[in-house]
Amino acid sequence: MVFWRAEQLGCRGTSNQFKGNSAIIAAYLPQEQAKLLDLAAFALWLRQDSLSLNLTEPQVAWKLIDEEDWSSSWKDHWEPQEIGDLFLVCPAWIEPQGQENRTLLKLDPGVAFGTGGHPTTQLCLEALEMRLDGTPTDAKIADIGCGSGILSIGAMLLGAKEAHAVDIDPLAVKAAKANRDLNDISGDQLNIYQGSLDSLVNDLNGPVDGFFCNILAEVIVEMIPEMEKISQPQTWGILSGILLEQAKPIADLLEHHDWIIATLWRRQEWCCFNIRRS
Amino acid sequence: MAKKVVAIIKLAIDAGKATPAPPIGPALGQHGVNIMMFCKEYNAKTADKAGFVIPVEISVYEDRSFTFILKTPPASVLIRKAAGIEKGSGEPNKVKVGSITTAQLKEIAETKMPDLNANDIEAAMKIVGGTARNMGITIAD
Repeated sequence: MVFWRAEQLGCRGTSNQFKGNSAIIAAYLPQEQAKLLDLAAFALWLRQDSLSLNLTEPQVAWKLIDEEDWSSSWKDHWEPQEIGDLFLVCPAWIEPQGQENRTLLKLDPGVAFGTGGHPTTQLCLEALEMRLDGTPTDAKIADIGCGSGILSIGAMLLGAKEAHAVDIDPLAVKAAKANRDLNDISGDQLNIYQGSLDSLVNDLNGPVDGFFCNILAEVIVEMIPEMEKISQPQTWGILSGILLEQAKPIADLLEHHDWIIATLWRRQEWCCFNIRRS
Repeated sequence: MAKKVVAIIKLAIDAGKATPAPPIGPALGQHGVNIMMFCKEYNAKTADKAGFVIPVEISVYEDRSFTFILKTPPASVLIRKAAGIEKGSGEPNKVKVGSITTAQLKEIAETKMPDLNANDIEAAMKIVGGTARNMGITIAD
């Protein structure tokens, strides 16, 4: 009944939190729709509903939610995390202790994707460890849909010489640049800007040695025919953001475009393609 | 031992278009859920349903991890799409704003079946047909 009333009011989401025998139901209404009279009527309806159903009268309250509250609140629960054999991904505001043997990757993702918590990010970082091991190399890397920059920063920390990271979301670009600074990587080494695979094709002077693409299957499908434009015979790629059920058509498309699938790793319902040109 | 659920969040989101903007951000952020992780998972699983609102029910556990179940689009949205109209009638008993065929009704009932309290397709069609009539949309044979 409460959910139905909230929906009628125009609420676009609800949450139900249990406390003992009680429940706290929160309903989210856009500020521009929040008219005081409507809210008062809503409270009245709920009281009438409870009376007619012989239930305890609910306490009804409303408040304006500060944006800062929600954009950062989840970070309180984010802990340093070991990934693969080499990485320790650590929130920027926490000082890691007792894991000096690991490569420290500091991160404040803002509202960009890529904290290391998601199976796809973990699979990509673990796949990267197959390609780079911390020894300096001449590897040139591309990161398409970089989010927080976690993958290209990881590549630089594992010995890549240079990386170029793009994302269509300006907030992601901002977060990735901040994370680059956090990890003491210069803009010359890791070039981050707003753009897509097309931008990389236009801006790169020659092919890359390896690339990441951890986005969504639908986007990756569109990019596969274009990937050869940044590739050479030795180029490798790490593709994720793909659900297991989406793996078959992507595998077929990769083979159609002369990519060899070296490994296909899975974690939970997600998978990660390790591909190479030859 | 199974993890304890501390909150259940219900949201109606456009398929493939989850972003940290309200209501997703406030609803998830206040319970300590990693907002971008949810958005990525939701978008991946609904990208093939673009154009529909896909309700989602998210269970948040005490360690702030989450799982979610996708629901079927609201019957009213499916009916509006089938009838090709923007909104239902304000006076459904007097003003009819469109119609759908029995075949369309059956298709909608089949889509909604997992979320309806109906034993068979005929019962589901009756429920969806009732929703359509309440929107001022008639069922043509």
